[in-house]
Amino acid sequence: MTNLKKTYLSISIIVIFMFSFSYMLVPLYDIFCEITGLNGKTNQEKIVGINEVNTDRFVTVKFTSTVAGSEPFNFNPMENEMIVEVGKIYTTSYILTNNTNSLKQITASPSVVPGRDAEYFKKIECFCFTQQQINGKETKELPLQFVIDEDLPLNTKTLILSYTMFNTTDQLGAK
Amino acid sequence: MSANIHDIHDQHHHTPSGLMRWITTTNHKDIGSLYLWFSLLMFFIGGFMALIIRAELFEPGLQLVIPGFFNQMTTMHALIMIFGAVMPAFVGLANWQIPIMIGAPDMALPRLNNWSFWILPFAFTMLLSTLFFDSGGPAAGWTLYPPLSLQGGNSMPFVILSIHLLGISSILGAINVIATILNMRAPGMTLMKMPIFIWTWLITAFLLIAAMPVLAGAITMLLTDRFFGTSFFTASGGGDPVMFQHIFWFFGHPEVYILILPAFGIVSTIIPAFSRKKLFGYDSMVYATASIALLSFIVWAHHMFTVGMPLAGEIFFMLTTMLIAVPTGVKVFNWVATMWKGSMTFETPMLFALAFIILFTIGGFSGLMLAMTPADFQYHDTYFVVAHFHYVLVPGAVFAIIAAVYYWLPKWTGKMYSESLGKLHFWLTTIFVNVTFFPMHFVGLAGMPRRIPDYPVQFADFNAIASVGAFGFGLSQILFVYILYNTLKKDVTADDKVWDGAEGLEWTLSSPPPYHSFEKAPRVE
Repeated sequence: MTNLKKTYLSISIIVIFMFSFSYMLVPLYDIFCEITGLNGKTNQEKIVGINEVNTDRFVTVKFTSTVAGSEPFNFNPMENEMIVEVGKIYTTSYILTNNTNSLKQITASPSVVPGRDAEYFKKIECFCFTQQQINGKETKELPLQFVIDEDLPLNTKTLILSYTMFNTTDQLGAK
Repeated sequence: MSANIHDIHDQHHHTPSGLMRWITTTNHKDIGSLYLWFSLLMFFIGGFMALIIRAELFEPGLQLVIPGFFNQMTTMHALIMIFGAVMPAFVGLANWQIPIMIGAPDMALPRLNNWSFWILPFAFTMLLSTLFFDSGGPAAGWTLYPPLSLQGGNSMPFVILSIHLLGISSILGAINVIATILNMRAPGMTLMKMPIFIWTWLITAFLLIAAMPVLAGAITMLLTDRFFGTSFFTASGGGDPVMFQHIFWFFGHPEVYILILPAFGIVSTIIPAFSRKKLFGYDSMVYATASIALLSFIVWAHHMFTVGMPLAGEIFFMLTTMLIAVPTGVKVFNWVATMWKGSMTFETPMLFALAFIILFTIGGFSGLMLAMTPADFQYHDTYFVVAHFHYVLVPGAVFAIIAAVYYWLPKWTGKMYSESLGKLHFWLTTIFVNVTFFPMHFVGLAGMPRRIPDYPVQFADFNAIASVGAFGFGLSQILFVYILYNTLKKDVTADDKVWDGAEGLEWTLSSPPPYHSFEKAPRVE
């Protein structure tokens, strides 16, 4: 009977371990994405202390935007395309219009294509770092300041930065 | 030996009669029968859903059902067939066969055994009840991918709770199988002397133990995302829907081997019996099964080649997936070698086992095609995938279960089924299974997507053929029920050793075997 109990116990430990393992996969997945640049994840916090350098190398940066679901917003880049020098700081912005009559909260999540170059797209200032609030019928300019890292692989000529905007007004009510 | 067992009988046993006997039973044979009958019922419910799908797809355009209901049917068909038909059938076979094949009186944890069965009817009542909700049942596919599954109706928490229950049931069943096999073998039966069916079930049970908790974790995350404000998979909160696919398939791929490894064990038992030779390469069979099980944990992303993985990832998962063909090939060649120069006869179980080898191999080959990343970009989410997994699950897992029932039914009941009806059942089933699923390869390669209620007219002919086949297949299974009924109403006719070429401890018992299988453990030399 002790043998049976031993088997029973060790199997139960495996079951509990595997259940916890499924939750451990969540941080592991994030680390994996960070290392590989999977999903075009870019920095979600300010990069500070960047020195501008002259590289005389120019790449095209394209900007796109998506509104998740069918939310009542207009969300578009100010410029669709910029030709930028690698290593220099540039500023642009996105335009957000709230088509409803009430205060809304939004959040935007960035993604860079090609994904493997996401780590070279460094954001110094971005509206995507925090939740944004916008009054009814208001139009707002959301600033973005970025630099393309000088280590960007030489065969990359174009980068696409895409923002998906989510309505998070229900979180506003919760706070 | 068998005379001895006759004498002991079950004098000291007091079982309640009628319904209470089945509700309170802790006997491995009763529970095995309950599992098998339950899975047969689910097979027909899931099959009925498949026929609704095929009836709608008989011709282009929307005729019978609205698209939302069609999606509920594809989702429910998969959930019912996987968790309700195939898995309980294998657990039922395990309950019946493990004690009588290893020389034990019963399973190691009989009360747990009772519980793991009786969870199932409740879980499936809950799952099926969602079809009567105003918002309908689950319609996001059995894989429950977010964000779609998070946007579903009120059925979602019910589906998740019922899957939790099914998971608990499987885990308890697996614990019981492992505890029984590791602790209750007859003296002299070392691990490498165990019947191959026992080996495949031991490995399957370990897969269940390792994979089902991961599914439980994944669906719990879905639940908290929907109701408790977490954002594991909600992009607006920084989560990632693709992560669900990784966690799900980390469970999902071992799961597909849970559905096939016991089938390998059944075929490896039946082929030698009717070839009147020993199984060729027993050791290599065991190692092949174990390597398939281990490999199953590192191939999951081949279900999601198109999500946008780094090239290194695509290549890794492509190569590991193809690697699985090696141990599987070992098995197929071993079965063929077992038959080589054997004195073969073709009774119904053997016919189903032979069809298994041929048709499962076809499914294996289409799996190899899908494993190639560049090709998969073309095949992904088309009917080619549907054709592939139905070839490995229907003429694979389901044929093995039917073969096992024909093979062991005379032992379980002491009554011989009608061989001519059995053969008729085999031929009808085998012809219609191919009429149903083979054309799906063609429409899939031509680009017909999965999970659509309507399709362009160029796919019409092959879809019509598949629908005719599906109805033929479904109706042929009514013959199977008739054969079972016809057998059960007979008087005892079967010998203790039903098949002259069969080997194993179960054939030393009487047919039907005594209530407590081996009161005194037999010695295995």
